[in-house]
Amino acid sequence: MFSSLSFKKGISHAIGIPVIGLGTSMFAFGAYLKSSGFDLLQSLSSTLFTFALPGQFVMAETIVAGGTFLNIFLAVLLTNARLYPMTVNLIPIIRHPNYPKWKYYCLAHVIAVTAWFNMLAVHKKLPQEDKFDYFLGLGGFLWMSSVVCTVLGYLISHLVSHEILVGFVFINPIYFLIMTLSNLIEKKLIFSIITGAILSVILFHYIPDWSVLIGGLVAGTLGFIIFRKETYDS
Amino acid sequence: MTANFIYFSIFLASVATYCCRAFGIFSAKNVSVDSAIFQWIKCISVGIISAVIAKIILFPAGLLAETSFSSRLFSTGVAVAIYFLFKKNVLLSIFVSTMTFFFINFYI
Repeated sequence: MFSSLSFKKGISHAIGIPVIGLGTSMFAFGAYLKSSGFDLLQSLSSTLFTFALPGQFVMAETIVAGGTFLNIFLAVLLTNARLYPMTVNLIPIIRHPNYPKWKYYCLAHVIAVTAWFNMLAVHKKLPQEDKFDYFLGLGGFLWMSSVVCTVLGYLISHLVSHEILVGFVFINPIYFLIMTLSNLIEKKLIFSIITGAILSVILFHYIPDWSVLIGGLVAGTLGFIIFRKETYDS
Repeated sequence: MTANFIYFSIFLASVATYCCRAFGIFSAKNVSVDSAIFQWIKCISVGIISAVIAKIILFPAGLLAETSFSSRLFSTGVAVAIYFLFKKNVLLSIFVSTMTFFFINFYI
């Protein structure tokens, strides 16, 4: 059964640092799309239907570079493939028998790094039956605010100096970094995070398109194997 | 590039992205929070996200590519230092780091 209280709590969680961390980058992305020749409806559609910034950026870059439809599909698939393990990780945490399968497939659209990290940070304090609606509020609000910020970036970015826009773009990776640091609790996660960063940097010089996926996969697998006796802390 | 080309590209990007999410929902149906596979997937997720962050900060595309490597690296160090020095204050670390980045690139 839908819990509007949990849904509203999820929304209030999103308001503040999460929305600033994501919204500033979406604002800069709207400005980027405008300067790249996209129109307003195209910019809005990109965030409304894709809602995964690195993939959206890769799509726009590939179009500008004259890529084919196949190039675009594969580049976005590769860039956003991180959403697969994140989703596999999130669903067991929020699953409850009250919710039919199709609702999870609808909820899937709002799964992204910001909502995922924020949900992991609070889920142990929430009753199991409230987690679905809480995440819907959290992710749904971030999704809608991202659409608004993209549109604002498209429409009013000329009022903001280029320097400020560059600063806006920097906020997002730093926010992700800080959220990652907040997860430095278990040894296997500490190992996976540090090794993932190092491997991706090394692999970037040899296989730039695959460096993130392979680096993360190898780091996570090693972290899991080396520290497999560590107490589980879901 | 025509409008239709862009709209179809957005459609393809959305399908590619949703496939990753939907396949994740499908794969998660037999995964429980107590299982080893859940722990493995959690390690992979954070490993990939840290790899993404490293790539954005060290080898950026777009606007960040206009900024100096050392400014991004130093500002990232500032974020980490402030976070641990000031009782894991998220807002403060992001604010100081971004301001450091801003001033190094545009006023020094």
